[in-house]
Amino acid sequence: MVLDLILYIIAYPPLWQVLILGFAGSLAIAMVAIWFERKAAARVQRRIGPYWASPALGGFLNIIADMVRYVLQQLIIPGTVDRLVFYFAPIAAFTISILPVIFIPLSPKPEFWPVATMDYSLLIALALSTLPPLLVIAAGWSSNNKFAVIGSMRESYVITAYELVAVVSILSASASLLTFNLVYIVEAQQPFKWLAILNPIAFLAAILAVLMSTSAFPFEIPESEHEVVAGPFTEYSGALYAFNMGGAYVRRFVYALLIALVFLGGWAPYVPGPGPITGYIIPSLIVVFKAVIVVLFISFLRAVYGRYRLDQALGAAWRLAIPLAIIGFGWSLFLAYIGVFH
Amino acid sequence: MTSGGLEAGAQRIPGVTVKKIEKEVYEIFIGPQHPGSGHMRIIVRLDGDIIVEADPDIGYVHRTMEKLSEVREWLKPIPLLERMTIIDACNVTLPYVNALEKLMDKTPSTRASYLRVLLCEINRVASHLYGMGIFGVFIGHSTMYMWAFGDREVFVELAEVLTGARLTHTYPIPGGVRRDMPQDLPEMARRTVRYMRGRLEEYRKIFVDNPVIVKRLAGVGVISKSRAIELGVVGPNLRASGVKYDVRIAEPYEVYGELDFEIPVFEEGDALARTWVRVEEIKQSLNIIEQAVNWLETHKGEPVIAKEDFDKLPKLHKEVYEKEGRVKLVPAHATMKIPAGKAVARGEMGRGEIFYYVESDGGTTPYRVRVVTPSARNAIVFKHIVPGHTLMDLPAIYGSIDYFPPESDR
Repeated sequence: MVLDLILYIIAYPPLWQVLILGFAGSLAIAMVAIWFERKAAARVQRRIGPYWASPALGGFLNIIADMVRYVLQQLIIPGTVDRLVFYFAPIAAFTISILPVIFIPLSPKPEFWPVATMDYSLLIALALSTLPPLLVIAAGWSSNNKFAVIGSMRESYVITAYELVAVVSILSASASLLTFNLVYIVEAQQPFKWLAILNPIAFLAAILAVLMSTSAFPFEIPESEHEVVAGPFTEYSGALYAFNMGGAYVRRFVYALLIALVFLGGWAPYVPGPGPITGYIIPSLIVVFKAVIVVLFISFLRAVYGRYRLDQALGAAWRLAIPLAIIGFGWSLFLAYIGVFH
Repeated sequence: MTSGGLEAGAQRIPGVTVKKIEKEVYEIFIGPQHPGSGHMRIIVRLDGDIIVEADPDIGYVHRTMEKLSEVREWLKPIPLLERMTIIDACNVTLPYVNALEKLMDKTPSTRASYLRVLLCEINRVASHLYGMGIFGVFIGHSTMYMWAFGDREVFVELAEVLTGARLTHTYPIPGGVRRDMPQDLPEMARRTVRYMRGRLEEYRKIFVDNPVIVKRLAGVGVISKSRAIELGVVGPNLRASGVKYDVRIAEPYEVYGELDFEIPVFEEGDALARTWVRVEEIKQSLNIIEQAVNWLETHKGEPVIAKEDFDKLPKLHKEVYEKEGRVKLVPAHATMKIPAGKAVARGEMGRGEIFYYVESDGGTTPYRVRVVTPSARNAIVFKHIVPGHTLMDLPAIYGSIDYFPPESDR
């Protein structure tokens, strides 16, 4: 009886999705993104980038070596920090960054992805993915360091600017499809009625919001090295620092998954069949592939742009991105009115 | 510098300004251990995100260059003074050598002058590339940083072929230069110039005309023409404010008077204009490099040190010169005495005007060497131009004035 219960808990599919797909998968993708960011930037900048750790793999093992180093590094905790929040914030931020993965279906089949068939998956995933910045602010505030506090303040400015854009632009899909269920959203886009094509304005606004929310270039402002050292993470070292930085990459991947589903048609034009291979593995690979493209595009911008000034980034958000998101939302309502999807 | 607890006037310490900090003002110490400070500290007082006061706290790399020069024989300050601006080594020592030549009443051979100018311009390009690279990474553009540092390497290698040393060339000596150029240098220099012209176009595309960078730099750190003159700003920063002043034109030294080049001047006086001045100056320097190697190729035969010095060389040393193009000086050169007197000389470094005052009492060492470097004069910009900008403008202004602490601190 007890054994059955334990087995049921261990074998419960969503748990496996969190552990294997959520944690390991996101981590692997984050590593690929970091590797690509370094390698692509190196190519543009006429360098080689990571190489000697594994010449055959293009230096990919270098990223793993870096992570091992972060984990084994001495954890230096300044005496003046607020210890509870200082420990808690990065770990919680990283965990919450991964959580939305549970609600993002990589397959429409309920037998493979039971949680995601719930009707509010998009809303919950979006809500969860907007939480971690608050913990980043807490991390900076608890550090009791002037640079960290300035970085936190910047993060808070940036949150207020981009949050609305992210939510409105991604929810514009719900406006035209009249559902919060990501599976329905994807199925409605079959085979090529992708929202990125039908509603490019909302798509652009969503990409802008992701750039700003994950501190990607040209909006890498809270951690802008040459004024505020490492921003909110100035006092962090070792594994806690890795959590902070890794959290941003994981968040970028989660947003990319959402964009892949909502705007890039998810597993469309593929129609999932029965069985684990055609019903689960192939659709999820298609979704992850689209998401990785988005992540790599975002990573590549580092090689092209410098960073905007804080006021310019906020101006871009309030004057450009928010109107864009609202226009995109309006266009979605128009799409629903003329009945493109029905 | 500042201690908040002291009442104004309660205690006066000579040389120390005691100031009370306003309550709403947030004071941060940028440097000396900070990714965006260099070897200096900038004490910044912030009201919100606006800088109300910026205090450049310089002197962290002061190495007593002037004093050390007084205890070295006349030739030996040359490798010492190079250390002020190791990336601009010929420009920084040439006026010292010029001052010695004035004291000794010695004229370098024309060939030596051309070689000096050649190296000076190679240094200038390398120095500008260094400055642009640092500037790029200061405003988050890592590609500009890597490109500029990679392309600077090309010029460093050109200098190595010419002088035998990558950075610390110690090339000019009173009366000439240390060695003649190798046979294949002109071809290499022309290739380098062609390459760099192509690269500048790419720099323009990715950095100077990049919309994000333009947005970041236009209208930031504006130094008006009158303000620039009043503050005594020098070099590209002065020319970006619309003042056409360059020592190479104002008081031509070496063979600059015979060369054909322009002084780029911009009117805006902002960080973007300062970047453009550097790009345009690199183009002009490339022109000068071409002219210099053309002249050097067609005018062979003259020794690279003053005629009277060359004639005094022993036979063995002359043979070394004929075979290797290398000037081997007699030991007496190191302990030479220079007639008593005073001399001043100036030159245009990559970062602006450098000024030397050299005084001799007739001994084997200088009695006094006074150096005023361009960065020492540009440091004032932090104090007077930075306030009123946001904190994120600080690296943009810092990078755009191309401030180099070791040069300023001497």
